[in-house]
Parts: sequence; C-alpha cells; structure tokens
Amino acid sequence: MGETEIEIIDRCLGGDNAAFAGILAIYQDRIYGFCLRLLKDPNAAEDAAQETFVKSFRGLPSYNKKYPFASWLFRIAHNACMDALRAGNKTVSMDDENFSDLPDKAPGVDLQVAETLDSERIEALLASLPPLYSEVLLLQYREDMGPAEIARVINAPEGTVKARLFRAREMFKAKLAGLAADATV
Amino acid sequence: MNADKTDKLIAKAIRALPYRAPSAGFRARVMTAIAVQSAAETWPARVIEAAGLLVGAWAAILIFSAGALIYVNFTDIAALIIQPGGLTHALNLLAAHAAIVLIKSGTVLSIAVELARANFPPLYEIAIASLACAGAVTAVSKGGHTAGQRI
Repeated sequence: MGETEIEIIDRCLGGDNAAFAGILAIYQDRIYGFCLRLLKDPNAAEDAAQETFVKSFRGLPSYNKKYPFASWLFRIAHNACMDALRAGNKTVSMDDENFSDLPDKAPGVDLQVAETLDSERIEALLASLPPLYSEVLLLQYREDMGPAEIARVINAPEGTVKARLFRAREMFKAKLAGLAADATV
Repeated sequence: MNADKTDKLIAKAIRALPYRAPSAGFRARVMTAIAVQSAAETWPARVIEAAGLLVGAWAAILIFSAGALIYVNFTDIAALIIQPGGLTHALNLLAAHAAIVLIKSGTVLSIAVELARANFPPLYEIAIASLACAGAVTAVSKGGHTAGQRI
C-alpha cells in the first residue's frame, strides 16, 4: 500500500521537500482540471494550479489535519482561480446572484437528450455557466464534496452554497432544455 | 420526478467527466518552484541562526574573560570583600565604572546620531553631556577621592 496523504505531509513538514511529489501525483490532474474548467484557458489553468501547489507547500504547517486535505487544497485553488479571473477582468462578483433571465422553474428536459449527453456537451454546458456556479457543481459531483465541505472551499456560508447549487442545477437544466429544443428543430 | 431524474443524470454526467492532465513537465516545474522558494526562505533563517551563534560565541568569550580576570585577581577581590565595608566599596566602584560607561556611551550614541544626520552636535549639547558625565562621576565617588584611592 502506498503512502497516505498524511504520511506524505508529515515527511514534507519534516523537511523532505521531495516528498511533495507524492501530493502532486495524487492531485495534479484534479487541481488542474478544476482550474481549467473555471478559467477555460490551459495556460492560465497551469499557472493557477502551479500557484496552488506552491502556496500549499508553503502553507503546509498551517494545515489543520482535522479537515480533509482535499478541501484545503481546493480552497487554495479556488482563491488562485478567483484571483486569475479578477485579474482577467472577468466578473466573479458574489452579489450578482439574482438571475433575471432564469425561469422560476427550469423547463422539462427531454430525458432522451439528457441521457445521451456526452462529456463534450457537458463540458460545454459547464463552461457556459458563470464560474461561481460551475464551480459548485464540479465540487459537488466531480469531487464528491458535501455542502459543508464546499462551504469551506469557497469560504461562504453553507446556505449560500445550497442556494448556489440549486441555481446552478436550474441553469444547467435550462441550458439543457435549450439544447433539446435546438435538437428537435 | 422528471426533475429528479434530470438531476441524477446531470450528477452522473459531471461525475463521469475525466480529469485533465497539465502539459508535460508540469510536475518538474512545480518542484523547481518549490525548491527555489524553499531555498529563498531558508536563507534568512540561516543568517539569523549565524547571528545567534555569533552572539552566543561573543557571550561565551566575555564570560570566559571575566572568569579569567576574577581568577587572576581573586586574592585582591577576596581581600576587598572580606575587609569591613569592602563589599560596599566594591559595589560603589562598580557603580562608578558603570555610570561612566553609560554616560560615555550615551554621549557617543548621540554624537553618532548627529553625525548620521550629517550634522555635528551643537556645542551646548556636548557641554551638557560633559557636565552630566562629570556630575555623575563626582556624585558616585563622594569626597573627591578616586575609586582607586578609596579601595
């Protein structure tokens, strides 16, 4: 059995910098994929992922082992991505969460369309959502995090996370319905 | 019900998304960045450690020198302390030396500060410092005898 995360972290804290390669091996694709889906630019995503790992290495002494390492790491990645989005003048305002164009209830989705969704379409639909919303969907479904853990990652109250998840799903369904309508025309 | 099923399908579809791999060499770049940062962070720590060692060594030399002085002059010191009032005399002598050193260092410091500002201290400041120094020495060595004479 390989080394656990905690064992790797302990080795890093003991001065073995090379041990951090173990953390990279576990998380590099997950963190890079997360950054790429938020930033939609491979170079910016690599920069954000690199920043995440370097900052996490520097911040290892402050990591509280009571909480999962993944959520701590994703929190750093979240901050790096938000900084990158702000630097690129892309809106990440937390206030702009009322969607006037969003219907009260997402229209019914043709299940046949939904069932035939391939990863390319899903990627496109996710990419069409504002980063704040695609982020919570990714954290919940791709990273298997619950609302409490997501709240720690994005540093927001759990209620906000639940509301954001609901809206994200509704937006996703609305876009999916649009896709289905296009397909039938 | 339809909505529930759609939610589940969305969840399933997002869960099935593949992770993405960064470009080749990403891991090496991160490890290099970490090594560079680590080296940059340990440099000031080593300087502080070296300064600490230097201060420690200096303190050890001072203690050793003081110990050697006491050892060499042990009989004189013992005689001074044993005689009636000898301890008080010794303390007075020590206080006088300390006062002189303190006032001198204060004056030197103030002159150094003035010089650092590219200005020589005004004459009245030098005069006041000299007077204060002389006054302190006179007060400590009451009666006009030098410390050496009083021993």
